[in-house]
Amino acid sequence: MHEALFGFCRWLETTPWGAPTRETMWFYPFVQLIHFTGLSLWLSTNVALDLRLIGVGRWRRTAAELARDLFVLNWIGFCTVVTGGFLLFSATATTYIQNGAFLVKLGMLVPTALVFHVVVQSKSRTWGRTAELPGVARLAGLIELLLWLSVVTAAVEIPSY
Amino acid sequence: MGPFWSWLQETPIIYTIGKTDYLYDAFSVLHYFSVFIMVGTTGLVDLRVLGVGAQRQSVAQVARQFSPWIWTAVVVGIVSGFVEFAPGASSFAPDPIFEIKMVVIVLAIVCGLMVLRGAPRWSELPEIPVVAKLLAVISMLLWLGAILAALDFSAFSGLG
Repeated sequence: MHEALFGFCRWLETTPWGAPTRETMWFYPFVQLIHFTGLSLWLSTNVALDLRLIGVGRWRRTAAELARDLFVLNWIGFCTVVTGGFLLFSATATTYIQNGAFLVKLGMLVPTALVFHVVVQSKSRTWGRTAELPGVARLAGLIELLLWLSVVTAAVEIPSY
Repeated sequence: MGPFWSWLQETPIIYTIGKTDYLYDAFSVLHYFSVFIMVGTTGLVDLRVLGVGAQRQSVAQVARQFSPWIWTAVVVGIVSGFVEFAPGASSFAPDPIFEIKMVVIVLAIVCGLMVLRGAPRWSELPEIPVVAKLLAVISMLLWLGAILAALDFSAFSGLG
């Protein structure tokens, strides 16, 4: 299994998208830009809903309305992050899969936060019909916010491992 | 400015943060996170001015809804950014790319302010003025430029 994964990563590094990201001087920052731009859209729309659920700030929209308002841009943001992230990973895949912080980030935190987000987003339709939210909704918002913070923390730690 | 930056670097609290990995990293996390929130929420307002997303609310409503978060994120972003900058102030400050980044950020914040201030007026008009849309596009481009300037850009000199 490990050998197959490693072989896959080696192959990624030679692909027509992996190799140029690593070898072309000007391409890499633009790939990072794609990743960060997507992150801005993805995280800000996630956190907006989380804060609305927690009940911080003066929102004029119910959580259900906000979830619906932001739905499309939220997932456009997600696709953009994944595209940029996949290119960054392809460039030096064999190094990434040996990095502890990266494994924690992509193997554990991102899947957990993502599943949590999907649940929170769909649950908001029922939780958020009224301005006052049930305790479970507030807790869910807080947990999702902390999960994304932990994802960013793991990402910041990648160069140190 | 040289002596000032050296003095800043040697300030006990700044020196300690610079030498303590987990503290410095905590401020990095704060900086990344607040910048994502700021760029994202500013983008949501800009996109609405351009007629994209959140159509159920007017431009003014979208601007009012996100402006407290934009400003909170701007403040957290500036404070955490300063803490990241200060321990290496004398090497950051003279770097032309860093200087470009600072100028672009100031322009982007001014531009964002103009969009937020203009939003209530534009909403009352039968159609969003072209100038407003132009401003929204410039705002987004400035933030993309700021992110680009913030990345490791030594590689970029290869462009000539």
